[in-house]
Amino acid sequence: MPKDQHPPKLSLKLVRWLCKSELVEELEGNLHEYYTTHNQSTFKGLKYWYQVLNYLRPSTLKSFKNSNSGAMFIFNPILTLRNLNRHRSTSLISIFGFTFGLVATIFLYFYIHSELTVDAFHEDGDKIYRAVRQSEVNGTPYDIGVTSGPFAGALANDFPESITDVTRAMTESGLVSAGERKFYEDRILMADANFFDFFSYPLVSGDPKTVLDKPNSVVLSSQMAKKYFGDENPIGKEIKADNMFTFIVTGIMDEMPAKTHIPFDFVASIELYNQFDWFKNWWSNGLLTYVKIPSPQVAENVKAQLPGFMDKYFGEDFQKSGRRIDLTLEPLEEIYFNNKTRYDFALHGNIRSIYILGVVSLAILFIACFNYVNLSIAQSFMRAKEVGVRKVLGVHKKRLILQFFGESFMILLFSILLAIALCQLLYPLFNQAFGIELDLNWTDFNVLTFFAALIALVLITSGLYPALLLSSFKPTAIMKGNLGTGKNVGLRKGLVVVQFAISIFLIVATVLISRQNAYMNNKDLGFDKEAVVVVRLYNEEIRNNKETFMKNLRLLPSVKAVSNMSGEPGGFHDVTVFKIAGVNEDFRFRTVFTDTAYLSVLGIDVLAGRSFSPNLASDATDAMLINEKALVETGLSANEIIGKRVSLPSWNDMQRTIIGVVPDYHFNSLKDEVEPVGIVASQNFGGRVVVKVNSSNLKEAMIAIDETYRELSPGFPLQYDFLDDSLERLYEEEQKQARLFSAFSGISIFLACLGIFGLATYSAQRRQKELGIRKVLGATAQQIIGLISKEFVWLVIVASMVAIPVAWYFISQWLGGYAYRIEILDYWYVFVVGGLMAVVIALITVAFKTYGAAISDPTESIRNE
Amino acid sequence: MKGTNLGEFEELLLLVVLILQEEAYMLRIKDEIKNQVNRSISMGAIHTTLARLEQKDFLKSEMGGATNERGGRRKRIYELTTAGKAALNEVKEMRASLWNQVPAVELKFSYA
Repeated sequence: MPKDQHPPKLSLKLVRWLCKSELVEELEGNLHEYYTTHNQSTFKGLKYWYQVLNYLRPSTLKSFKNSNSGAMFIFNPILTLRNLNRHRSTSLISIFGFTFGLVATIFLYFYIHSELTVDAFHEDGDKIYRAVRQSEVNGTPYDIGVTSGPFAGALANDFPESITDVTRAMTESGLVSAGERKFYEDRILMADANFFDFFSYPLVSGDPKTVLDKPNSVVLSSQMAKKYFGDENPIGKEIKADNMFTFIVTGIMDEMPAKTHIPFDFVASIELYNQFDWFKNWWSNGLLTYVKIPSPQVAENVKAQLPGFMDKYFGEDFQKSGRRIDLTLEPLEEIYFNNKTRYDFALHGNIRSIYILGVVSLAILFIACFNYVNLSIAQSFMRAKEVGVRKVLGVHKKRLILQFFGESFMILLFSILLAIALCQLLYPLFNQAFGIELDLNWTDFNVLTFFAALIALVLITSGLYPALLLSSFKPTAIMKGNLGTGKNVGLRKGLVVVQFAISIFLIVATVLISRQNAYMNNKDLGFDKEAVVVVRLYNEEIRNNKETFMKNLRLLPSVKAVSNMSGEPGGFHDVTVFKIAGVNEDFRFRTVFTDTAYLSVLGIDVLAGRSFSPNLASDATDAMLINEKALVETGLSANEIIGKRVSLPSWNDMQRTIIGVVPDYHFNSLKDEVEPVGIVASQNFGGRVVVKVNSSNLKEAMIAIDETYRELSPGFPLQYDFLDDSLERLYEEEQKQARLFSAFSGISIFLACLGIFGLATYSAQRRQKELGIRKVLGATAQQIIGLISKEFVWLVIVASMVAIPVAWYFISQWLGGYAYRIEILDYWYVFVVGGLMAVVIALITVAFKTYGAAISDPTESIRNE
Repeated sequence: MKGTNLGEFEELLLLVVLILQEEAYMLRIKDEIKNQVNRSISMGAIHTTLARLEQKDFLKSEMGGATNERGGRRKRIYELTTAGKAALNEVKEMRASLWNQVPAVELKFSYA
């Protein structure tokens, strides 16, 4: 007999599962006969299944309403809903708890996901590397993210076998105008013609291969197209940069599929720079060079040959300056989290804080789960009778487990739906509050997997134990009234302790993190950052008129001092080799090129020697200062070093005399130790004009500066920053994280309170009779509140004992990442207050709940049996 | 209980069951409908109507013999009850009386 004489097993199973048992034999027989005798057509299977599915109709299906066989289903939804409704307050507490926990977890998931998928959308992402220069200051090596123009060509040329493609990009800023619309833009990228082919940035219009082919082509983001051209089609239209260069729009970019490490709104052809000498100079800076290498092994191979490559092109210069730099390759996916790279235009994230946030979100989720477990266990004694009766009536244990699991699932389902709705509702707010750009992409495969895993995790952690516990009750014991209450008290208390320990940890951590941030913002930096305006000389017009500009500024009554410098504190400080006469060793110091007004603008006093003098003409071209760190580095005393001649080999052997030593002021971020610095008087390097104004009439001063500027550079708007603002921005990422942290520790403490609230409710209910008798015997309301509160307060005290040392340890570790940090011992009281706060919050929560029980009429509670 | 009025498909099924006698089980009923009036009706649909007729007490059923092509499972054989036969008869008579009252002219027109 051919094997297709038997109908598919699944079809018969389906009938057996779903149809009335008294009909099954007949139906199966009919289907079987139909399959064997009535089936000659080409759509055999299809026709058969049509018959099978057609059999599933009300007249044949099992009835769920009034039959025990409903138990064959996973759980009985009506029964579950009825149970949830009966214990309304605990159900609501559980649902709220889960919802909050899930909202927090979902947001953090999306945040972490967006951080971890930076640049993940590039097709050849795993083959792309960035060329990074390596240098060192006094023995500490560091990477420099930028390279110069000739690298790309030389790399492609020297490694034709290994490097399949190269591209360059350079971030720019400037005045962009289209017709009447003029804006200062700082997300401009100058890039090679193959940029869009090399990376996978999506284009709405334009061919990635040819869109940047012409030397004057530019590609806009869709937002920029809207900003400059409104609803018109921008393709083929002109835009001007810095009133000088004209570009034709040849393409429009699509919405980025994820974050990328170089933020840009404009991509213009880098061809424009070919006319400049600096673009062809090996020693220039500012470009990002990317190469494509087919496999990691080949990349290692190339890396090994890079020292030779550098010798080939830099050998002579290395010998002349005594300073060597090297080249290495950084995989594209590592760029974002490698924030050690200096002089980098790439955006950076902090992988450590991603881990921390991940742990925080898990902690919050567990608090929510523990709440549920706790409440379920507490409730289990009330439901013990139900279980007993069910068991006596012959319900199998397996079914009871399924029923309780079903209840957990139902609660979780409500919470998930609520959480998703809340997330959708709140995320614009969330983005705004934390200064991030989250996109809730629910249908992404990863997101769905995450959700499935999340549900499974929550269900198992919070559903399994209560289900097993409840279904294991012995009916005879229950019916006798013996509930065995003592058994799970330890577990419940343990869970409360863990919840509060987590919350106390988060409270303490939040406070100390914000203290550290405040410390960094308020620390005396060794210079005066108030009322200091940094004007960027970003165009030719103002650069040509620099001297006049500064002279005019000095004439303004609201201006106290004006200086010109290569980089303001917190800004760019290059490393230069210094040769000190009479000392054999070379020194590498950070450098700022400036004029004689530097110290007076920043309000720095000299420690030894003298400051630059505006009256000595020779100072402007012949003097330099060093900081204390640099002095220590040289090993000389202040008296010895003053008057020494210094030469700078990488700057054409520029000669200077050291005239003084300044204290270690913080010219870089407080995350790093102060480095040795040389303050070199010079006339040609200043890209910034820094103005100290009268703080009492700041507004007036700004108007005056703007007018002065406009006279000399009518075509370009003034671009300025207040020094204190720009210094604060150095810690922007920290601030953002501190805000996230405090929000989520708030949620965690709220959830922990919700849990303790539920437990107190239960405790008050269960002891109702006892409390009634106590009241009859003369106990006051306070005594009763105290009685119930006591057991919880103890738990919280234990929790703080656990949390405080752990928090102490981890926060000291975290602070270790900062060169300048608060002393954790000075903040011992934060730990005490954190613990006390948790106790007080717990006390208030419990008292709030117990109050009702304490003032209730004892006759009410004793009367009922 | 629902009214004793017979639906068109119910009437058809009762007639088929009557014709088939001892052979009146699902597959044969299905085939008979297909052969006699050329209608393909799924077994599920037939079952629903048969069940309804049983509920109206027009049909009764009992499990009959098993065959090999049924995988050894018995078949349910339907049989008309007295009430069923009476209902069929009533329908037939009512139709006949109605037909008798239709004027010949009208009849011709309806075929035009």
